[in-house]
Order: sequence, then C-alpha cells, then structure tokens
Amino acid sequence: MTVCYPNHAIHPLEARIDHRNADPRRPHRPRTGFGKALLVESRTQADLFVTCIIDQIYPQVGVSVVRVLRKLGVAVGFPEGQTCCGQPLYNTGYTEQARRLARRVLDGFRDSTYVVVPSGSCAAMMANFYPELFRDDPEMLEQARTLSSKVREFSQFLTDVLGMDDAGATYDGSVTYHPSCHLLREMGVRNGPIRLLENVRGAEYRELPNAEVCCGFGGTFSVKYPHISEGMVADKVANVTSTGADTLVSCDMSCLMNIEGALSRQGSDMRVRHLAQVLDDDGTHS
Amino acid sequence: MPEVKTRDFPAASAVSILDPQIRMALQRAGTGFDGGRRECIEEVTPQVWEEWREQARQTKLHTLDHLDYYLEMLEERVSANGGQVHFAADAAEANAIVADLVRTRGVRIATKSKSMVSEELNLNHMLESIGVDVYETDLGEYIIQLAEETPFHLVAPALHKSKEEVSRLFTEKLGVPPMDDINALAAAAREALRQRFLEADLGISGANFLVAETGTLVIITNEGNGRLCTSAPRIHVGITGMEKVIPSVQDLAVFLRLLPRSATGQRITSYVSMVSGPRKHDDEDGPEEFHLIVVDNGRSRMLADPDLREALMCIRCGACLNICPVYQKVGGHAYGWVYPGPIGSIVSPMLVGLDQASDLPQASSLCGACREACPIRIDIPRMLLHLRHKLAEEPDAGGRAKGTMPRPIANGFAKVMANPGLLSATRKFARAAQAMLLGSPISPLARGGRGIRKAGLPLLSKWTHSRDLPEIAPRSFGEIWKQELSNPDGER
Amino acid sequence: MAEATGTPKSEFLASVRRALGRQAGPPQTEYPRLAQGIEQLEDQAREVRERVQANRGALLDKLAEVAQLRGWQVRRTPDPEEAMDYVQSLADGQGANRVVRSRQEVFEAVPLDATLTGMGITVTEVAHGEGASRESLREQIAMSGMGITGVDYAIAETGSAVIVPRRGLGRLVSLVPPVHVALVRPDDVIESLDDLFLMRRLEYMRNGGDMGPYLNFITGPSRTADIEQTIVVGVHGPKEVHMVLLG
Repeated sequence: MTVCYPNHAIHPLEARIDHRNADPRRPHRPRTGFGKALLVESRTQADLFVTCIIDQIYPQVGVSVVRVLRKLGVAVGFPEGQTCCGQPLYNTGYTEQARRLARRVLDGFRDSTYVVVPSGSCAAMMANFYPELFRDDPEMLEQARTLSSKVREFSQFLTDVLGMDDAGATYDGSVTYHPSCHLLREMGVRNGPIRLLENVRGAEYRELPNAEVCCGFGGTFSVKYPHISEGMVADKVANVTSTGADTLVSCDMSCLMNIEGALSRQGSDMRVRHLAQVLDDDGTHS
Repeated sequence: MPEVKTRDFPAASAVSILDPQIRMALQRAGTGFDGGRRECIEEVTPQVWEEWREQARQTKLHTLDHLDYYLEMLEERVSANGGQVHFAADAAEANAIVADLVRTRGVRIATKSKSMVSEELNLNHMLESIGVDVYETDLGEYIIQLAEETPFHLVAPALHKSKEEVSRLFTEKLGVPPMDDINALAAAAREALRQRFLEADLGISGANFLVAETGTLVIITNEGNGRLCTSAPRIHVGITGMEKVIPSVQDLAVFLRLLPRSATGQRITSYVSMVSGPRKHDDEDGPEEFHLIVVDNGRSRMLADPDLREALMCIRCGACLNICPVYQKVGGHAYGWVYPGPIGSIVSPMLVGLDQASDLPQASSLCGACREACPIRIDIPRMLLHLRHKLAEEPDAGGRAKGTMPRPIANGFAKVMANPGLLSATRKFARAAQAMLLGSPISPLARGGRGIRKAGLPLLSKWTHSRDLPEIAPRSFGEIWKQELSNPDGER
Repeated sequence: MAEATGTPKSEFLASVRRALGRQAGPPQTEYPRLAQGIEQLEDQAREVRERVQANRGALLDKLAEVAQLRGWQVRRTPDPEEAMDYVQSLADGQGANRVVRSRQEVFEAVPLDATLTGMGITVTEVAHGEGASRESLREQIAMSGMGITGVDYAIAETGSAVIVPRRGLGRLVSLVPPVHVALVRPDDVIESLDDLFLMRRLEYMRNGGDMGPYLNFITGPSRTADIEQTIVVGVHGPKEVHMVLLG
C-alpha cells in the first residue's frame, strides 16, 4: 500500500476568502513534553470534530475516519466534550443558541492545527457560518476566522492537505456518489471525493444522474414539509437506483440517513456508506 | 394588492405536489429553461459567465447603495425627454396615479404587456372597477387573465396550463371553436388582440431596467406585444419597482447578455425596446404621453435591512425557480402571492409582511442551487436564514416563534448540547426509551427495514411517513474513542 | 404638460435616503461609466469604427451566421439588383398586394418601388405630411402584407437589427405586417452590444441629452413558448423576418 505524504498545498478557499488569514501550518505546539514533540513535529496533526449525528447514530463512520487518517500517517486527536456545531439552531434562526454551541467548539479546538469534519454541512457551519455568527463581536470573530482557516471536510483534508487522490483503499463493488449541497456549494468540494472513489481498487465508479440536486433533507425542512422532502428524496432514490450501483457514497451522514431511510422503506438492498467507510480497508467497521 | 394567500403554503403545496399536470409542466420548464441556461453558460464559457455576473452584481450593488441619487437622475432625465415620473409609496397610491390618468385623459381601452409589479398592485382589477377594458397581451398573461388566475412562473405565467385547457378557455371566453394545435391557439389570441392594440388609448408596460443617465425604460420581450403597447396607443404608462434603475446605458450590454440566457436559455429575446419619452413632434408614430410610475410598496423595508438589500438586485429571470427542487415540486401558485420560488420566499414576506408569510422562508432545504443559478449571485440562502432568524427573534402574540422550531425545543437542544454530561444522560435515557418502546407490543415505535419503520411520535412520525429511521447507536463515538481508539503514543 | 401625482419626489427620495441611512448627494466615487466624458467616448467610438472597418468581412459573415441562428432568413446580396430581385420574389411568394416601407437612405441604393409597383403591388412610403396623415398611414400599415425598412445598426454578436424610429421611420412598419424585410448595408454592422451602447451614449451626449424617444432591437421573428413550452412564431409581431445583407 502506498502512503502519500502531505504536501501542505494551500487550499483554494484560503486564497478566495480573505478572512482566512490565519496560517494553519504554523508549528504544532507540543502539549506532552519535549521528547514526544519531536516525534509529533514530523506528522500532520488533525483534530476530529466527529459531528453529533455520527457520534450518536453512526459511530462506525467516525471509527473509519480515524482509521483512514491514521493509515495515511496523520496524528489524530479527539478533543473531549465536543457535541454539536450548532447548525440545527442556526438554520432555524436561533442564532443566540447557536452561538452558545459555537463558542464551545471554538474553545475546544483552539489549539488544533487542522480540524477534520466528516460532514460537508457541519464543516460549512464552522468554516463559513461561525464568522457570520460573530460578525459583531471582534474578539470572537477573530477566533472564528482562525478556526475557519483550519477546518477541512474529510475528503478535502485528504485531497487538499494531504495532497492525495488515492487513499490506497480496496473496495469490492460498484459505487455512485451523492454530492451533498453544503459540501458542494458552501465548501466548494466537487471533484475530490469522486477522484478518491475512482482510485479505490476494485470499486467501479458510476456517475449519478442529476447528482447535484438536493436529496430533500434540509434539517428541520424534512419534518416541516415532509411531503416536499419525500418528493425530493424519491427523485434522488430513483436516480441512485438507476445507476445500478450496489453502494451509495456521500460525505454527509444526514443526507445518507434521508436517502437510506427511503431506500430501506422500498426494501432496497443497496449499501449506503460514508466515503471514509469505503476508504477504510478493513471491512469490519463498515 | 391581490389576495395574500401565503399562509396557505403548507396546505396548498401538499395539494399541488400531487397534481400530475403541474408535475409535467414543471419538468418541461426544468429541462427547457434550465437546460437552455446551462447550454448558454457552456457556450460563452463559465469563466466569461462569471465575469458577467460579477460586473452585473457590482453595478446593482452600487446603484442600490445610492438609489436616491439615481432615482433623482432618472426623474430629471425623463422630464427632460418630455415624460413624467410619478412616485408611488404603495399599491394604493400607484393605482390612484393610474386612475387619475384614466380620468383626466378619458381612457377607455388599455392594453398591457407583462408586468409583475402590476400584479402586485392588482392593477387590472382597479382598472376594471373604473370602467376600463384592460387586456393582457402577453400570451401567457392573457390566458391567466381569461382564467382569472395569478401567474404560475415569473417568465412563463401559464406554464401549468395544458393546450386542452387553453382551448376550453378560449372557446368559453372568446367564442372560438375548440382547437388542439398550439399554433392555432396562438393565432386565435393574436386575432382577438390585434384590434385591441390599435383601438387602445393606453398602453401599460413594466420595465426590466430603467437607465438613470438617459431616462430610459427598457423592456425585453419575445412576442411583439411589448412593442405594440409602447408604440400604438396615445399614452404609454410604465409601472415598475424603484429597484430597477441602473446608472448608464452602457450597463445594459451585460444585463442583456445575462437576462435572456438565465430566463429562457435564449441568447437574446426577439425584441428589446427602449423608451426614453413620448414621441417627438416629427415622428411617424408613438405615444403622445409617456408616464413612468416608480413604486416603493415595501421595497424600502428591504433596502433598509443590509441583510436583505440584495433581494432588490433581482432581475426576475426565474432561473432560481427553474432550479429550485422545492419550486420544481410544488409550482408557483402554492406560494400564495405574486412572486414564487426562492426569491419569492424573500420578496413576498418583505412586501406582504413576515407574519403573513412566515411559512415561506422555511420552504427551503437551503441547498443553495438558487444562488448558483442567479445571474446576479444573489445569496438567497443567507437571506432565508436571516428571515428565519427574524422569525425566531420575534415571537407572535402568544410568545411562540413563528413557523420555526418552537423556542423551548431550541433552548432545550442548546442546553443539552452545551453540556456533555447532560448529553450523555439524555442519550442513556433515549436509548432506554428506544429499547423499551421497541420491545413493547403496544408501542408507537416499531422496527422495520434497516431501522425504525413506525414512530407514532410528534415530528418523528413526519419522518417515518415514507422513510425508515435509524436507531440510536449502542455506543457513541465518544465512548468508542475512549475505550478503543485513544492512543497515548504521541496522540491526544 | 402633466403634473406629477402620488408622493412628491422630495418626500419619496427622502424616504429612500432614510432606508439607506445616507445623505443626499452623489456617490463618493463617481460610477466609472458615468465618469467618462464625451472626449473619451469619441476616442473609443473611433477605435470601434476602425476595428469594425478592419474586420468588416468577418463581421458580415458572423452577422449572417448568428442572425440565421436567431430566426432571420438571411440573404446576402452585394449587388443591389440582386437585392431587388430577392425582395420581389419575397413579395411574390407572399402574394402581398400592399407593401409599406420606411423613408430611408438605403432605398436610394435599392429603389424597390418601381419593381414592386410593376408587379401590381401598392407601395406606400410611411412618412406623414404631403397629404398623408398619421392615421391614414397607420391604416395602410395594418392592411399591408409586408413592411420593408433599413436599419440603424446590425449587431454581429446577437444577430439583431437595431432601429431608431424617427421621421420617415415609423415604429409600426417593422411590427404590424406579418413579414418584415430589413435591408442591412455593410456600414450598419457593428460587432457587439458594447459597441452599440457606446455609440448610443455618444449620440446622447452629442445631442445635448437626447437620443430619440425610442429604440428597438429586432432579433428574429415574434415568438412565444407560453403554451406547453412549445415555440410558436408570429404572435403579435411578424411571423417571417428577412435580413437582406447588401454586402
């Protein structure tokens, strides 16, 4: 297996968004003594923000994320006490409550070099919406911008920080990929996950028709307007099944929960996986 | 103003989503309009398209930020050209201005080309009430007028009507024999309206743009009705929103490139007409009087809110409708007022009142496709979020937040998520409840498929209506990390 | 003339200013396009004319190609005789007994009247005065099967004919008859929308703030897709449009 080493490429978002001026590549500050720090210096450090949905419902995805990152030589941390990024509150208009949760995240990941988030949606919350949440609070805004510069969605971390298109994984089956809306349109991640999938040994990638149309989840939207949400996910399921692939892959478990819920109701046997699970060689966790 | 039915969105959308004819019409618009738009972008190259968008956006931003200055310039230049500008603070005032013109000029017949603002004013109703025969002349608007409906789509008002329905309508209202050929239907409308154009005293149009520097009203049309309305009658009245102004005639180049491509996938429409005043005494034809009514009607509320000002940059191309997965399911009428779709979910609440239209900002999965399609890059999702925030902050008389997640739930969620110990306890409780309910024969919860098939509980039942629900995992990731993954060897 | 009704201008503008939170007055930095004065526009217009002159052949080809794509029936006839034969054949094909045309310079190069009259067609020049009232001319237009005009500009980028109505060039000649024939001289051709609006702005400034009350782009036939997204040509304007390119 090839292990690719990080090339520290500057992510295009950093060039595009001027508030991302903090440098995530500053030397890591060792926490555990001089001897260990020497060892640590040579490896890319990343702290995992696992997201509440993976924490509570899909922990196996988090396990795969850790395993893949470690396999690629990343030193993974998991700051304790993390819960929710606040997006459900932000999206329903409760900005003060969302700020309360955002402050916890800013505090918990203050010392991180990179923050890896296995969700395009939560990553967008942290990278794009935190600075908006604190736009009237200069001190917190500074912190939010600093965090924003460190946040990478999982696939983005692999392609843009570690600089790899091939995670050296093997997977048996045909796969299709649903690009989640926030990953696509907030984080600007379009082709990276597909390149990673195309390079998985044994996996046959099949393009999803109308891939960039929303699956209909939308957080509270899915229960506020279930009839519309159902209609949207029905279209998504029809497109997904039309590929004939045996596995649906995405980078957001919330969208996958929605699509899988509909697939399951239809009695479909299609597998539904987070990208990290497909890149995780050892099938025991997937 | 026309009847505001924005409160009906939840019920109306639940009905329209099941209508097979609406579904077919929306599919046609999706492939026809949006497909055409994408082709155009590929043709000019995405790089050039982005340059155009940026240029248009900057022009609109600048104009809105100095709107008073450019409106004043517009008024001066229209006057210098021999036209008359009237300012209307609201719909009633705009209608009164038209009514006054009708009375003082003895107007009996009016022909009208498409104008969304006139829909806002319910202008036709007012004109009929004072005895004016008013004819919509855009084919789609004409159909809608005969059917006594409101537009279904910003650029294709009768999108939802089948040719059979149009034929029945024409037979009933125009007394023509039934016909199944669309060419014949269009010819029947041409026939019915041709004489009206030549008889009309008053031509009414909207405006796609107002050029401040030269005092010019610009309309973009395909059928020729706009040309007729602005050329044949002795009086032309243009009615439009105050946000339509742009500084220079040279700015038009980029907007003429963006608008038709975004709207219908056309490189340019059949006609672009620019009116800078009444005819000169030597001209062969053209109206003797030109009036321009500039309407506020709630727009200054949007202007005053920096988070919503962007909505005034809209050029009404409808690209956000054609790409919106929600509009594409429910269609235009469900939105309950003049402006449907993503941009309508911002404009309608601001013009009719947020409390009237609190359901609309919720009618979005925030997927962002609208922003991607918008030729002016209007950040619609951000504004929907802003309106949701206003709704959450301004509870109704009963203290309940309007249309969003109930405040106690939001507070409770924040409280639990802000306290890992409490989250852990909640999790234990939820796991226990889940196990108990799943194990009980008389439970609202039942397994099925890959998770929970039935959940007879508030909110969850809305999910499980057509989707299975995953169970809460036996161990959280945090627990697994602590027990199996945390590695003291150099990692935290 | 008329009095303004509704909210007084000063009051309306004041409420806009309140919404914006700004004081009356121009923007701090003048809008770049408006900052350009007549001298700069003259320079730019000269460049445009030189560019167009240098690329005329290619621009004519492009115009012909794009106009065809936008629904014009394009015929290139460098020879005026050929142009007249072509218009004659169009009139013949239409079976039109009445034709209206504008009074424009182009008809000196392409004197159609005799030819058409020789076919038994009544040709009316739409120019009021000399016994022809506006009303009677309007009736003539409404009865005619074909309207023939020159153009003020033809834009290669969009395939549009641009008409600036004035004495001798009525608005309805190119609009009401079911067939419109536009005679385009090589000198009318410009490259782009930018060229057009530069020229118009220059015209406006040269004339001390006047560019005429009306201007119209015509790009192909009148059309609609308002019923079932099916394209129908010839709704309220001409069903058939011909561009005769005299070069």
